[in-house]
Amino acid sequence: MTTQDERFITRDRMRFIKNSQSSNLCYLGILFDVLYFVNIYRSDVGTYYYNVSIGISIVYNLIFLLAAFLASEGVKNYKKSYSYALFVIGAIQFARIFYIPMKAHSATTVVNDVAVKVMGDGQFMKVVAYLALSGAALLIAGFINMKKCNELEEHLKSIGEQAA
Amino acid sequence: MATLSLQHIDKIYDNNVQAVYDFNLDVKDGELIVLVGPSGCGKSTTLRMVAGLEDISNGKLILDGKDITNAPAKDRDMAMVFQSYALYGHMTIYENMAFSLTLRKENPNVIHKKVLAAAEVLGLTSQLNKKPAQLSGGQRQRVAMGRSIVRNPKVFLFDEPLSNLDAKLRGATRREILLLHKRLQATMMYVTHDQTEALTLADRIVCMSMGHVQQVGTPLELYDSPANIFVASFIGLPPMNFFDTVVQGDKLIGEGFEVSLTPEEKHTVAAYQGKQIVLGVRPENIVLGNDVPATVTMNENLGMNTLVHGNIGNTGVKVTAKLKGWTDYKNGDTASFTFDRKHFFDKETTQAIRGGEL
Repeated sequence: MTTQDERFITRDRMRFIKNSQSSNLCYLGILFDVLYFVNIYRSDVGTYYYNVSIGISIVYNLIFLLAAFLASEGVKNYKKSYSYALFVIGAIQFARIFYIPMKAHSATTVVNDVAVKVMGDGQFMKVVAYLALSGAALLIAGFINMKKCNELEEHLKSIGEQAA
Repeated sequence: MATLSLQHIDKIYDNNVQAVYDFNLDVKDGELIVLVGPSGCGKSTTLRMVAGLEDISNGKLILDGKDITNAPAKDRDMAMVFQSYALYGHMTIYENMAFSLTLRKENPNVIHKKVLAAAEVLGLTSQLNKKPAQLSGGQRQRVAMGRSIVRNPKVFLFDEPLSNLDAKLRGATRREILLLHKRLQATMMYVTHDQTEALTLADRIVCMSMGHVQQVGTPLELYDSPANIFVASFIGLPPMNFFDTVVQGDKLIGEGFEVSLTPEEKHTVAAYQGKQIVLGVRPENIVLGNDVPATVTMNENLGMNTLVHGNIGNTGVKVTAKLKGWTDYKNGDTASFTFDRKHFFDKETTQAIRGGEL
Protein backbone atom coordinates (compact mmCIF):
# COMPACT_ATOMS: atom_id res chain seq x y z
CA MET A 1 0.00 0.00 0.00
CA THR A 2 1.27 3.46 -0.88
CA THR A 3 1.22 6.34 1.61
CA GLN A 4 -1.62 7.88 -0.39
CA ASP A 5 -3.65 4.66 -0.08
CA GLU A 6 -2.95 4.56 3.62
CA ARG A 7 -4.14 8.14 4.00
CA PHE A 8 -7.26 7.42 2.01
CA ILE A 9 -8.09 4.35 4.12
CA THR A 10 -7.38 6.19 7.36
CA ARG A 11 -9.85 8.86 6.32
CA ASP A 12 -12.33 6.32 5.01
CA ARG A 13 -12.30 4.56 8.37
CA MET A 14 -13.80 7.70 9.89
CA ARG A 15 -17.06 6.82 8.14
CA PHE A 16 -17.45 3.87 10.50
CA ILE A 17 -15.21 4.51 13.49
CA LYS A 18 -16.36 6.94 16.16
CA ASN A 19 -14.24 9.91 17.19
CA SER A 20 -13.28 8.35 20.48
CA GLN A 21 -10.19 10.54 20.80
CA SER A 22 -12.24 13.73 21.21
CA SER A 23 -14.86 11.97 23.24
CA ASN A 24 -12.30 10.56 25.68
CA LEU A 25 -10.72 13.98 26.05
CA CYS A 26 -14.16 15.33 27.01
CA TYR A 27 -14.43 12.66 29.71
CA LEU A 28 -10.99 13.70 30.90
CA GLY A 29 -12.19 17.32 31.03
CA ILE A 30 -15.16 16.20 33.13
CA LEU A 31 -12.89 14.21 35.45
CA PHE A 32 -10.60 17.18 36.11
CA ASP A 33 -13.60 19.41 36.70
CA VAL A 34 -14.94 16.99 39.31
CA LEU A 35 -11.52 16.91 40.98
CA TYR A 36 -11.52 20.72 41.00
CA PHE A 37 -14.97 20.85 42.52
CA VAL A 38 -14.28 18.40 45.35
CA ASN A 39 -11.10 20.32 46.20
CA ILE A 40 -12.23 23.91 46.03
CA TYR A 41 -14.24 24.34 49.25
CA ARG A 42 -12.50 24.00 52.60
CA SER A 43 -14.67 23.54 55.67
CA ASP A 44 -12.45 25.33 58.21
CA VAL A 45 -12.56 28.86 56.83
CA GLY A 46 -15.71 30.03 58.58
CA THR A 47 -18.40 31.60 56.42
CA TYR A 48 -16.14 32.87 53.66
CA TYR A 49 -17.87 30.88 50.93
CA TYR A 50 -21.41 31.46 52.26
CA ASN A 51 -22.63 33.88 49.60
CA VAL A 52 -24.29 33.84 46.22
CA SER A 53 -21.15 32.67 44.43
CA ILE A 54 -21.35 29.19 45.98
CA GLY A 55 -24.81 28.73 44.51
CA ILE A 56 -23.71 30.04 41.12
CA SER A 57 -20.68 27.79 41.25
CA ILE A 58 -22.75 24.68 41.98
CA VAL A 59 -25.35 25.47 39.30
CA TYR A 60 -22.66 26.27 36.73
CA ASN A 61 -20.86 23.06 37.54
CA LEU A 62 -24.03 21.05 36.90
CA ILE A 63 -24.51 22.86 33.59
CA PHE A 64 -20.87 22.22 32.74
CA LEU A 65 -21.15 18.49 33.43
CA LEU A 66 -24.26 18.21 31.26
CA ALA A 67 -22.79 20.28 28.42
CA ALA A 68 -19.47 18.44 28.46
CA PHE A 69 -21.20 15.06 28.45
CA LEU A 70 -23.48 16.08 25.57
CA ALA A 71 -20.48 17.39 23.69
CA SER A 72 -18.62 14.13 24.26
CA GLU A 73 -21.50 12.29 22.57
CA GLY A 74 -21.69 14.86 19.78
CA VAL A 75 -18.01 14.78 18.89
CA LYS A 76 -18.10 11.00 18.96
CA ASN A 77 -20.29 11.25 15.86
CA TYR A 78 -18.23 13.98 14.17
CA LYS A 79 -20.72 16.81 14.83
CA LYS A 80 -18.84 19.99 14.09
CA SER A 81 -21.11 22.30 16.13
CA TYR A 82 -20.06 20.54 19.33
CA SER A 83 -16.50 21.76 18.71
CA TYR A 84 -17.72 25.32 19.19
CA ALA A 85 -19.49 24.29 22.39
CA LEU A 86 -16.24 22.73 23.60
CA PHE A 87 -14.29 25.91 22.78
CA VAL A 88 -16.75 27.92 24.89
CA ILE A 89 -16.86 25.64 27.95
CA GLY A 90 -13.10 25.04 27.67
CA ALA A 91 -12.42 28.77 27.70
CA ILE A 92 -14.80 29.22 30.65
CA GLN A 93 -12.80 26.65 32.61
CA PHE A 94 -9.76 28.92 32.27
CA ALA A 95 -11.85 31.97 33.19
CA ARG A 96 -13.04 30.20 36.34
CA ILE A 97 -9.47 30.28 37.67
CA PHE A 98 -9.82 34.03 38.07
CA TYR A 99 -13.11 33.80 39.93
CA ILE A 100 -13.31 31.64 43.10
CA PRO A 101 -9.74 30.25 43.26
CA MET A 102 -7.95 33.54 42.64
CA LYS A 103 -10.20 35.50 44.98
CA ALA A 104 -10.01 32.88 47.72
CA HIS A 105 -6.23 32.69 47.37
CA SER A 106 -5.80 36.39 48.06
CA ALA A 107 -8.41 36.54 50.85
CA THR A 108 -8.17 35.97 54.58
CA THR A 109 -10.98 35.30 57.03
CA VAL A 110 -11.18 35.38 60.85
CA VAL A 111 -12.01 32.12 62.56
CA ASN A 112 -11.99 32.07 66.40
CA ASP A 113 -10.19 35.41 66.40
CA VAL A 114 -7.46 34.02 64.23
CA ALA A 115 -6.80 35.31 60.72
CA VAL A 116 -6.79 32.37 58.32
CA LYS A 117 -5.78 32.35 54.66
CA VAL A 118 -8.85 31.06 52.82
CA MET A 119 -6.84 29.16 50.21
CA GLY A 120 -3.28 28.15 50.76
CA ASP A 121 -0.69 28.00 47.97
CA GLY A 122 -0.87 24.21 47.76
CA GLN A 123 -4.63 24.07 47.38
CA PHE A 124 -4.54 26.98 44.96
CA MET A 125 -1.99 25.31 42.70
CA LYS A 126 -3.99 22.12 42.77
CA VAL A 127 -7.37 23.61 41.82
CA VAL A 128 -5.80 25.85 39.19
CA ALA A 129 -4.12 22.81 37.67
CA TYR A 130 -7.40 20.88 37.64
CA LEU A 131 -9.29 23.70 35.95
CA ALA A 132 -6.51 24.32 33.46
CA LEU A 133 -6.23 20.62 32.61
CA SER A 134 -10.01 20.37 32.26
CA GLY A 135 -10.10 23.42 29.98
CA ALA A 136 -7.14 22.20 27.94
CA ALA A 137 -8.67 18.75 27.46
CA LEU A 138 -11.92 20.29 26.22
CA LEU A 139 -10.18 22.72 23.87
CA ILE A 140 -7.98 19.98 22.41
CA ALA A 141 -11.07 17.75 22.02
CA GLY A 142 -12.77 20.58 20.14
CA PHE A 143 -9.77 21.18 17.86
CA ILE A 144 -9.33 17.49 17.07
CA ASN A 145 -13.02 17.13 16.33
CA MET A 146 -12.97 20.19 14.09
CA LYS A 147 -9.99 18.84 12.15
CA LYS A 148 -11.51 15.39 11.78
CA CYS A 149 -14.89 16.80 10.74
CA ASN A 150 -13.21 18.82 8.00
CA GLU A 151 -11.23 15.78 6.83
CA LEU A 152 -14.33 13.62 6.83
CA GLU A 153 -16.35 16.22 4.94
CA GLU A 154 -13.62 16.49 2.34
CA HIS A 155 -13.36 12.71 2.08
CA LEU A 156 -17.10 12.23 1.72
CA LYS A 157 -17.15 14.89 -0.97
CA SER A 158 -14.36 13.08 -2.82
CA ILE A 159 -16.22 9.77 -2.79
CA GLY A 160 -19.55 11.42 -3.55
CA GLU A 161 -21.35 10.69 -0.30
CA GLN A 162 -23.41 13.02 1.83
CA ALA A 163 -22.04 14.01 5.22
CA ALA A 164 -24.23 12.82 8.07
CA MET B 1 -8.41 -23.53 1.48
CA ALA B 2 -8.15 -26.70 3.49
CA THR B 3 -8.79 -30.40 3.72
CA LEU B 4 -10.19 -31.82 6.90
CA SER B 5 -10.12 -35.40 8.05
CA LEU B 6 -12.14 -36.81 10.92
CA GLN B 7 -10.82 -40.24 11.86
CA HIS B 8 -12.66 -42.64 14.20
CA ILE B 9 -13.97 -39.82 16.34
CA ASP B 10 -15.98 -40.62 19.47
CA LYS B 11 -17.53 -38.28 21.96
CA ILE B 12 -18.11 -39.69 25.42
CA TYR B 13 -19.26 -37.26 28.13
CA ASP B 14 -18.14 -37.47 31.74
CA ASN B 15 -21.39 -39.21 32.69
CA ASN B 16 -20.49 -41.97 30.20
CA VAL B 17 -23.15 -40.91 27.70
CA GLN B 18 -21.76 -41.43 24.21
CA ALA B 19 -22.95 -38.80 21.76
CA VAL B 20 -20.87 -39.70 18.70
CA TYR B 21 -19.67 -43.15 17.62
CA ASP B 22 -16.72 -43.77 15.29
CA PHE B 23 -17.22 -40.76 13.01
CA ASN B 24 -15.14 -40.92 9.84
CA LEU B 25 -15.13 -38.30 7.14
CA ASP B 26 -12.69 -36.75 4.69
CA VAL B 27 -13.71 -33.23 3.69
CA LYS B 28 -12.15 -32.15 0.42
CA ASP B 29 -10.76 -28.71 -0.25
CA GLY B 30 -13.58 -26.29 -1.03
CA GLU B 31 -16.27 -28.82 -0.26
CA LEU B 32 -19.53 -27.98 1.51
CA ILE B 33 -20.44 -30.85 3.82
CA VAL B 34 -23.84 -30.83 5.51
CA LEU B 35 -24.42 -32.85 8.68
CA VAL B 36 -28.10 -33.63 8.88
CA GLY B 37 -30.21 -35.57 11.31
CA PRO B 38 -32.87 -35.22 13.96
CA SER B 39 -32.29 -33.38 17.25
CA GLY B 40 -29.89 -35.21 19.51
CA CYS B 41 -28.21 -37.22 16.75
CA GLY B 42 -24.75 -35.78 17.51
CA LYS B 43 -24.33 -33.47 14.52
CA SER B 44 -23.78 -30.29 16.53
CA THR B 45 -21.50 -32.14 18.94
CA THR B 46 -19.41 -33.27 15.98
CA LEU B 47 -19.19 -29.72 14.68
CA ARG B 48 -18.26 -28.40 18.12
CA MET B 49 -15.51 -31.02 18.33
CA VAL B 50 -14.18 -29.84 14.98
CA ALA B 51 -14.32 -26.23 16.22
CA GLY B 52 -12.50 -27.15 19.42
CA LEU B 53 -15.43 -26.24 21.65
CA GLU B 54 -15.74 -29.86 22.82
CA ASP B 55 -12.95 -32.31 23.58
CA ILE B 56 -12.55 -35.28 21.28
CA SER B 57 -12.77 -38.46 23.41
CA ASN B 58 -11.18 -40.79 20.83
CA GLY B 59 -9.94 -40.41 17.30
CA LYS B 60 -8.03 -37.82 15.34
CA LEU B 61 -8.82 -34.55 13.65
CA ILE B 62 -6.45 -33.63 10.83
CA LEU B 63 -6.45 -30.22 9.14
CA ASP B 64 -4.24 -29.90 6.08
CA GLY B 65 -2.21 -32.90 7.23
CA LYS B 66 -1.66 -31.46 10.71
CA ASP B 67 -3.08 -33.18 13.77
CA ILE B 68 -5.22 -30.61 15.58
CA THR B 69 -7.10 -33.06 17.83
CA ASN B 70 -5.97 -31.34 21.00
CA ALA B 71 -5.31 -27.85 19.62
CA PRO B 72 -7.25 -25.06 21.35
CA ALA B 73 -10.10 -23.49 19.39
CA LYS B 74 -8.23 -20.23 18.80
CA ASP B 75 -5.37 -22.03 17.06
CA ARG B 76 -7.51 -24.03 14.63
CA ASP B 77 -8.08 -21.26 12.10
CA MET B 78 -11.77 -22.06 11.82
CA ALA B 79 -14.69 -19.68 12.05
CA MET B 80 -18.07 -20.68 13.40
CA VAL B 81 -21.44 -19.13 12.68
CA PHE B 82 -24.04 -19.81 15.36
CA GLN B 83 -27.82 -20.06 15.22
CA SER B 84 -28.14 -17.12 17.63
CA TYR B 85 -25.80 -14.87 15.55
CA ALA B 86 -23.81 -13.97 18.72
CA LEU B 87 -23.44 -10.31 17.71
CA TYR B 88 -22.53 -7.56 20.16
CA GLY B 89 -25.62 -5.37 20.50
CA HIS B 90 -23.75 -2.23 21.57
CA MET B 91 -21.39 -2.32 18.58
CA THR B 92 -22.16 -1.24 15.04
CA ILE B 93 -22.11 -3.80 12.24
CA TYR B 94 -18.68 -2.50 11.21
CA GLU B 95 -17.35 -2.90 14.74
CA ASN B 96 -18.88 -6.37 15.05
CA MET B 97 -17.23 -7.49 11.84
CA ALA B 98 -13.91 -5.93 12.77
CA PHE B 99 -13.93 -7.19 16.35
CA SER B 100 -11.99 -10.44 15.99
CA LEU B 101 -9.28 -8.73 13.94
CA THR B 102 -9.07 -5.87 16.42
CA LEU B 103 -8.49 -8.41 19.18
CA ARG B 104 -5.64 -9.83 17.13
CA LYS B 105 -4.22 -6.29 16.97
CA GLU B 106 -4.16 -6.23 13.18
CA ASN B 107 -3.42 -2.96 11.39
CA PRO B 108 -6.65 -0.87 11.49
CA ASN B 109 -6.32 -0.03 7.80
CA VAL B 110 -6.01 -3.70 6.88
CA ILE B 111 -9.05 -4.46 9.06
CA HIS B 112 -10.95 -1.70 7.28
CA LYS B 113 -10.19 -3.16 3.86
CA LYS B 114 -11.22 -6.65 4.95
CA VAL B 115 -14.46 -5.48 6.54
CA LEU B 116 -15.44 -3.45 3.48
CA ALA B 117 -14.65 -6.36 1.17
CA ALA B 118 -16.74 -8.77 3.28
CA ALA B 119 -19.59 -6.27 3.52
CA GLU B 120 -19.52 -5.90 -0.26
CA VAL B 121 -19.75 -9.69 -0.74
CA LEU B 122 -22.66 -9.90 1.68
CA GLY B 123 -24.48 -6.77 0.54
CA LEU B 124 -24.06 -5.09 3.91
CA THR B 125 -22.19 -1.96 2.83
CA SER B 126 -25.11 0.37 3.55
CA GLN B 127 -25.72 -1.22 6.97
CA LEU B 128 -22.24 -0.84 8.45
CA ASN B 129 -23.12 2.08 10.73
CA LYS B 130 -26.23 0.41 12.13
CA LYS B 131 -26.58 -1.62 15.30
CA PRO B 132 -27.64 -5.29 15.11
CA ALA B 133 -31.07 -4.46 16.58
CA GLN B 134 -31.79 -2.30 13.52
CA LEU B 135 -31.31 -5.25 11.13
CA SER B 136 -33.58 -8.12 10.14
CA GLY B 137 -32.78 -11.69 11.17
CA GLY B 138 -31.39 -12.50 7.74
CA GLN B 139 -29.15 -9.45 7.75
CA ARG B 140 -27.91 -10.28 11.24
CA GLN B 141 -27.02 -13.77 10.10
CA ARG B 142 -25.13 -12.22 7.18
CA VAL B 143 -23.22 -10.06 9.65
CA ALA B 144 -22.33 -13.21 11.59
CA MET B 145 -21.07 -14.71 8.34
CA GLY B 146 -19.19 -11.51 7.57
CA ARG B 147 -17.44 -11.72 10.89
CA SER B 148 -16.21 -15.15 9.83
CA ILE B 149 -15.24 -14.06 6.33
CA VAL B 150 -12.98 -11.22 7.50
CA ARG B 151 -10.89 -13.75 9.40
CA ASN B 152 -10.29 -15.67 6.19
CA PRO B 153 -10.31 -18.99 8.06
CA LYS B 154 -9.36 -22.33 6.61
CA VAL B 155 -12.73 -23.86 7.44
CA PHE B 156 -16.16 -22.29 7.97
CA LEU B 157 -18.47 -24.03 10.44
CA PHE B 158 -22.19 -23.30 10.49
CA ASP B 159 -24.36 -24.53 13.37
CA GLU B 160 -27.99 -24.35 12.23
CA PRO B 161 -27.56 -20.74 11.07
CA LEU B 162 -31.02 -20.42 9.57
CA SER B 163 -33.12 -21.90 12.35
CA ASN B 164 -34.11 -18.51 13.79
CA LEU B 165 -35.41 -17.17 10.48
CA ASP B 166 -38.89 -17.36 9.05
CA ALA B 167 -39.50 -19.60 6.04
CA LYS B 168 -39.15 -16.90 3.38
CA LEU B 169 -35.99 -15.43 4.85
CA ARG B 170 -34.58 -18.90 5.37
CA GLY B 171 -34.90 -19.63 1.67
CA ALA B 172 -33.27 -16.33 0.69
CA THR B 173 -30.41 -16.68 3.18
CA ARG B 174 -29.87 -20.28 2.11
CA ARG B 175 -29.35 -19.12 -1.45
CA GLU B 176 -26.95 -16.45 -0.20
CA ILE B 177 -24.89 -19.07 1.63
CA LEU B 178 -24.76 -21.14 -1.52
CA LEU B 179 -23.61 -18.15 -3.58
CA LEU B 180 -21.09 -17.30 -0.89
CA HIS B 181 -19.67 -20.81 -1.03
CA LYS B 182 -19.40 -20.63 -4.81
CA ARG B 183 -17.69 -17.26 -4.53
CA LEU B 184 -15.26 -18.10 -1.73
CA GLN B 185 -14.69 -21.72 -2.72
CA ALA B 186 -14.07 -22.34 0.97
CA THR B 187 -14.23 -25.58 2.90
CA MET B 188 -17.44 -25.54 4.91
CA MET B 189 -19.21 -27.80 7.39
CA TYR B 190 -22.86 -27.03 7.95
CA VAL B 191 -25.18 -28.54 10.54
CA THR B 192 -28.93 -28.60 10.07
CA HIS B 193 -31.95 -30.70 10.89
CA ASP B 194 -33.70 -29.36 7.79
CA GLN B 195 -33.38 -31.79 4.91
CA THR B 196 -34.28 -29.10 2.36
CA GLU B 197 -31.24 -27.10 3.46
CA ALA B 198 -29.14 -30.23 3.30
CA LEU B 199 -30.28 -31.21 -0.18
CA THR B 200 -29.95 -27.73 -1.67
CA LEU B 201 -26.64 -26.70 -0.10
CA ALA B 202 -24.50 -29.78 0.17
CA ASP B 203 -21.80 -31.12 -2.05
CA ARG B 204 -22.07 -34.16 0.21
CA ILE B 205 -24.44 -34.95 3.05
CA VAL B 206 -23.63 -36.86 6.22
CA CYS B 207 -26.87 -38.26 7.60
CA MET B 208 -26.68 -39.07 11.31
CA SER B 209 -28.88 -40.81 13.84
CA MET B 210 -28.23 -41.59 17.51
CA GLY B 211 -24.58 -40.62 17.17
CA HIS B 212 -23.93 -42.94 14.24
CA VAL B 213 -23.26 -41.96 10.64
CA GLN B 214 -26.02 -43.55 8.60
CA GLN B 215 -24.86 -42.54 5.13
CA VAL B 216 -22.43 -40.20 3.44
CA GLY B 217 -23.10 -39.21 -0.14
CA THR B 218 -24.26 -36.60 -2.59
CA PRO B 219 -27.79 -35.26 -2.13
CA LEU B 220 -28.92 -37.34 -5.11
CA GLU B 221 -27.36 -40.50 -3.70
CA LEU B 222 -29.15 -40.03 -0.39
CA TYR B 223 -32.44 -39.28 -2.10
CA ASP B 224 -32.20 -41.91 -4.80
CA SER B 225 -30.31 -44.71 -3.06
CA PRO B 226 -30.83 -44.39 0.69
CA ALA B 227 -28.65 -46.79 2.62
CA ASN B 228 -31.33 -47.77 5.12
CA ILE B 229 -34.84 -47.09 6.31
CA PHE B 230 -33.72 -44.20 8.53
CA VAL B 231 -32.12 -42.27 5.66
CA ALA B 232 -35.03 -43.11 3.37
CA SER B 233 -37.51 -41.77 5.89
CA PHE B 234 -35.46 -38.71 6.85
CA ILE B 235 -34.61 -37.47 3.36
CA GLY B 236 -37.58 -36.46 1.24
CA LEU B 237 -40.70 -34.50 2.01
CA PRO B 238 -43.31 -35.84 2.54
CA PRO B 239 -41.39 -38.85 3.84
CA MET B 240 -41.22 -42.19 2.05
CA ASN B 241 -44.09 -44.67 2.50
CA PHE B 242 -43.08 -48.03 3.97
CA PHE B 243 -45.01 -51.28 3.60
CA ASP B 244 -44.33 -54.73 5.04
CA THR B 245 -44.44 -57.14 2.11
CA VAL B 246 -43.50 -60.70 1.20
CA VAL B 247 -41.61 -61.55 -2.00
CA GLN B 248 -43.52 -64.22 -3.95
CA GLY B 249 -42.22 -64.95 -7.44
CA ASP B 250 -42.36 -61.72 -9.40
CA LYS B 251 -44.80 -60.14 -6.98
CA LEU B 252 -44.68 -58.31 -3.71
CA ILE B 253 -47.62 -59.15 -1.48
CA GLY B 254 -48.55 -56.52 1.08
CA GLU B 255 -51.52 -56.06 3.35
CA GLY B 256 -54.40 -55.16 1.06
CA PHE B 257 -52.36 -54.98 -2.14
CA GLU B 258 -49.91 -56.71 -4.43
CA VAL B 259 -47.53 -55.21 -6.94
CA SER B 260 -45.57 -56.72 -9.79
CA LEU B 261 -41.79 -56.56 -9.90
CA THR B 262 -39.81 -55.65 -13.02
CA PRO B 263 -37.04 -58.13 -13.97
CA GLU B 264 -34.45 -55.80 -12.40
CA GLU B 265 -36.45 -55.49 -9.19
CA LYS B 266 -36.97 -59.25 -9.11
CA HIS B 267 -33.24 -59.72 -9.42
CA THR B 268 -32.61 -57.23 -6.61
CA VAL B 269 -34.80 -59.13 -4.15
CA ALA B 270 -33.94 -62.60 -5.48
CA ALA B 271 -32.34 -63.61 -2.19
CA TYR B 272 -35.53 -62.77 -0.32
CA GLN B 273 -37.96 -65.15 -2.10
CA GLY B 274 -40.69 -66.08 0.38
CA LYS B 275 -39.30 -63.69 2.98
CA GLN B 276 -40.55 -60.46 4.39
CA ILE B 277 -39.00 -57.22 3.20
CA VAL B 278 -39.92 -53.56 3.60
CA LEU B 279 -41.08 -51.83 0.44
CA GLY B 280 -40.38 -48.10 0.32
CA VAL B 281 -42.11 -45.79 -2.12
CA ARG B 282 -41.71 -42.03 -2.22
CA PRO B 283 -45.01 -40.12 -2.44
CA GLU B 284 -43.81 -38.52 -5.69
CA ASN B 285 -43.26 -42.01 -7.15
CA ILE B 286 -46.92 -42.89 -6.73
CA VAL B 287 -49.23 -42.24 -9.68
CA LEU B 288 -52.85 -43.01 -10.37
CA GLY B 289 -53.14 -46.62 -11.61
CA ASN B 290 -54.70 -49.96 -10.83
CA ASP B 291 -52.35 -51.79 -8.43
CA VAL B 292 -53.04 -50.37 -5.01
CA PRO B 293 -56.58 -49.44 -3.97
CA ALA B 294 -56.83 -46.81 -1.22
CA THR B 295 -59.53 -45.08 0.75
CA VAL B 296 -58.81 -41.37 0.82
CA THR B 297 -58.64 -39.77 4.26
CA MET B 298 -57.33 -36.35 3.30
CA ASN B 299 -56.76 -34.30 0.15
CA GLU B 300 -54.20 -31.44 0.44
CA ASN B 301 -53.95 -29.23 -2.61
CA LEU B 302 -50.60 -27.47 -2.81
CA GLY B 303 -51.08 -25.73 -6.14
CA MET B 304 -48.78 -27.61 -8.49
CA ASN B 305 -49.28 -30.87 -6.60
CA THR B 306 -51.78 -32.54 -4.36
CA LEU B 307 -50.99 -34.70 -1.37
CA VAL B 308 -53.50 -37.51 -1.15
CA HIS B 309 -53.47 -39.39 2.17
CA GLY B 310 -55.32 -42.64 2.56
CA ASN B 311 -55.48 -46.18 3.89
CA ILE B 312 -54.73 -49.10 1.62
CA GLY B 313 -57.95 -51.03 0.95
CA ASN B 314 -59.80 -51.42 4.19
CA THR B 315 -56.63 -51.92 6.22
CA GLY B 316 -55.02 -49.40 8.49
CA VAL B 317 -51.89 -49.25 6.32
CA LYS B 318 -51.32 -45.61 5.53
CA VAL B 319 -50.17 -44.28 2.17
CA THR B 320 -49.39 -40.75 0.99
CA ALA B 321 -49.23 -39.90 -2.70
CA LYS B 322 -47.97 -36.68 -4.22
CA LEU B 323 -49.99 -36.36 -7.40
CA LYS B 324 -49.33 -33.83 -10.13
CA GLY B 325 -51.91 -31.08 -10.52
CA TRP B 326 -55.09 -30.44 -8.61
CA THR B 327 -57.31 -33.28 -7.38
CA ASP B 328 -60.53 -33.05 -5.47
CA TYR B 329 -60.89 -36.29 -3.52
CA LYS B 330 -63.34 -36.28 -0.62
CA ASN B 331 -62.97 -38.28 2.56
CA GLY B 332 -63.98 -41.88 1.91
CA ASP B 333 -63.42 -41.68 -1.88
CA THR B 334 -61.55 -44.54 -3.43
CA ALA B 335 -58.33 -43.95 -5.36
CA SER B 336 -56.13 -46.48 -7.04
CA PHE B 337 -52.39 -46.09 -7.29
CA THR B 338 -49.39 -47.60 -9.06
CA PHE B 339 -45.88 -47.50 -7.60
CA ASP B 340 -43.45 -46.06 -10.16
CA ARG B 341 -40.16 -46.54 -8.39
CA LYS B 342 -39.57 -48.88 -5.49
CA HIS B 343 -36.95 -49.14 -2.74
CA PHE B 344 -36.38 -52.41 -0.86
CA PHE B 345 -35.11 -52.80 2.68
CA ASP B 346 -34.19 -55.80 4.77
CA LYS B 347 -36.79 -56.08 7.53
CA GLU B 348 -34.26 -57.31 10.10
CA THR B 349 -31.29 -55.02 9.46
CA THR B 350 -33.28 -52.10 7.92
CA GLN B 351 -30.46 -51.82 5.34
CA ALA B 352 -31.27 -51.25 1.68
CA ILE B 353 -31.38 -54.34 -0.53
CA ARG B 354 -29.15 -53.58 -3.46
CA GLY B 355 -29.00 -57.00 -5.13
CA GLY B 356 -26.12 -58.17 -7.32
CA GLU B 357 -25.21 -57.60 -10.94
CA LEU B 358 -27.76 -58.75 -13.50
